Amino acid sequence: MRKLTRRTLLAAAAALPLAAGVAVAQDVEITYAGSGGGLAQVMDMLFDKPFTEATGIRVKALATTDRVSAMRAMMQAGNPIWDVAELTPIEYATASIEGWLEPMDWDVIDPNGLQPPEARLPDGGIAATYSTILAQRTDKLPEGRKMTSWADFWNVEAFPGPRALQDSVMENLEFALLADGVEIKDLYTVLATEEGVDRAFAKLDEIKPHVVSFWSAGAQPVQMLSDGEVAFTTAWNGRITQLKAEGVPVETVWNGGAIKPSYVGILKGTKHKKEAEQYVAFMIGDPVRGAEFAKLVAYPSMVKGLYDHIDPEAGREMPTHPDNIAGQFVVDAVFWARNMDALQERWQEWLLD
Amino acid sequence: MRFANRLTLLPAVLLALAMFAVPVGFVLAEAVFTPELSLAHFERFFARPAYLSIFRNTLFVSAVVAGICLVLGYPMALFIVSQPPRRRPLLLFLVLVPLWMSILVRTYAWMVVLGREGIVNGALQWLGLIGEPLTLMFTTGAVYVAMVQILLPIMVVTCYTAMTEIDPGLVRAARVCGASPFAAFRKVFLPLSLEGAVTGWSVIFILSMGFFIVPALVGGRRDVLLGNMIVNQVGQANWGFAGALAIVLLVSTVLLLALVRLIIGRFLYSPREMQA
Repeated sequence: MRKLTRRTLLAAAAALPLAAGVAVAQDVEITYAGSGGGLAQVMDMLFDKPFTEATGIRVKALATTDRVSAMRAMMQAGNPIWDVAELTPIEYATASIEGWLEPMDWDVIDPNGLQPPEARLPDGGIAATYSTILAQRTDKLPEGRKMTSWADFWNVEAFPGPRALQDSVMENLEFALLADGVEIKDLYTVLATEEGVDRAFAKLDEIKPHVVSFWSAGAQPVQMLSDGEVAFTTAWNGRITQLKAEGVPVETVWNGGAIKPSYVGILKGTKHKKEAEQYVAFMIGDPVRGAEFAKLVAYPSMVKGLYDHIDPEAGREMPTHPDNIAGQFVVDAVFWARNMDALQERWQEWLLD
Repeated sequence: MRFANRLTLLPAVLLALAMFAVPVGFVLAEAVFTPELSLAHFERFFARPAYLSIFRNTLFVSAVVAGICLVLGYPMALFIVSQPPRRRPLLLFLVLVPLWMSILVRTYAWMVVLGREGIVNGALQWLGLIGEPLTLMFTTGAVYVAMVQILLPIMVVTCYTAMTEIDPGLVRAARVCGASPFAAFRKVFLPLSLEGAVTGWSVIFILSMGFFIVPALVGGRRDVLLGNMIVNQVGQANWGFAGALAIVLLVSTVLLLALVRLIIGRFLYSPREMQA
């Protein structure tokens, strides 16, 4: 009951500047909580600067990590200092379950209906996608053979060589089940049961002695592949495209890849809801601009018509390309937001065992 | 007068309270007040064998790293002190240079050195000493090597400072009274410098207890320290449990250091007390 009242209050507070907004819109600055780094430079060039030119609204881009904690602190204090945030699946699911995001007015954000239905979420949009995929050093493969599935990754006789996995329970359980023959459509039904989780961990037991490193930062698998530290590893697809461009003989196995959308949400209680919506619309609503973005970072959005503006060869390096999307699955953010804690604890114990 | 003197401390104390104690207090309060007042987070810690083994491992690794630093750093400091005073600043400078490089950069450098196709394996293979590359990365040994390299300068400086406080006349007096150089060192210099050595060990122990970057990058799956656990838990927004882990870390560090002081204090001369 108390929560409801607070929410109503917050909604009312958010609505106020909408009424008064028009007059002051010229000198508004919205704050975007992103990941920083090279991504921020690309966004500044493709989204932030043109957006300011088109609307007069300035964008302050922040390099942030650990956004769930930060959002929690902001919501406790009742003062969101970010207006728009980039969110990982877990961050999005957590923020959505906790009610930290403003509802999305899709008529305003996507009036032409270019977003597919699965990207029109009640309180968030999909800004980009990337995949956790299997990457292989082609020069370390046995003569004339290539890995094509998670079953191959698990097959240490046919494909000898040191391996690495991410230090995360999320996705690894899915990969283990796929290696064990579970169909993509049944993945989360199996994982939702205790036997399913046991089955995934039992499959992980098989590969454990051959995994030399459990990486925790995205740069690590790239480093390990190029140093020859490992021959096969999970990695984020964009990093492998870069590594390939640097001349390292690596190849992506799209089959069984875990698509993880990068969500964009507007923080509950923002004083610039209207401007924030304009910014989100600008960011995710235009296939031409989206294609420019995808060309630079290989993290394509889901906007319709994207691949009409991308060179076919570059497009094949992208997770949502029609040729690549077939064998992949979309990570179930809500399942993980609800089960992460307990499963991560079990994962931790499994690692130490 | 004494009271007025103490008043001058007030701004510093207030600043420390506002900038450090209060925020730390807030974080630690999470441990017992999230989601509601209970000791559940501590129960979780002490009930799961995994957390206890990480805790023991953290204590062990920190003590060993501090011990290796002591064994390596004390002779280095001794060497610098024995040099003519004009040469000492240069030597100290050389010891301190690595401290100005980011820990992250130095850890990545170790990955280049210790890797399967790294410098060490490359050299050994070139010399024909090994056929297959050795597994040096992602091992507990790699964690020790990288942590010792990062923390050693602190040990050298701490020991050096303690050694420069020793009146050289005391060692000379021992020699005049007929002690051999080694006896003079063992009976006069060593006991007087031990306080610095223990301080150095303690400082490195404290710093090691909070390490997380090095084990994450060069350690294997079992090389997890409490610091890594805290980072993980904060990343999953489990502030309560992260706070509980932080309290365990803080309390155990303070208790252990108090114990070290208590034991060593009985057998130790302090140069300052001796000269007072």
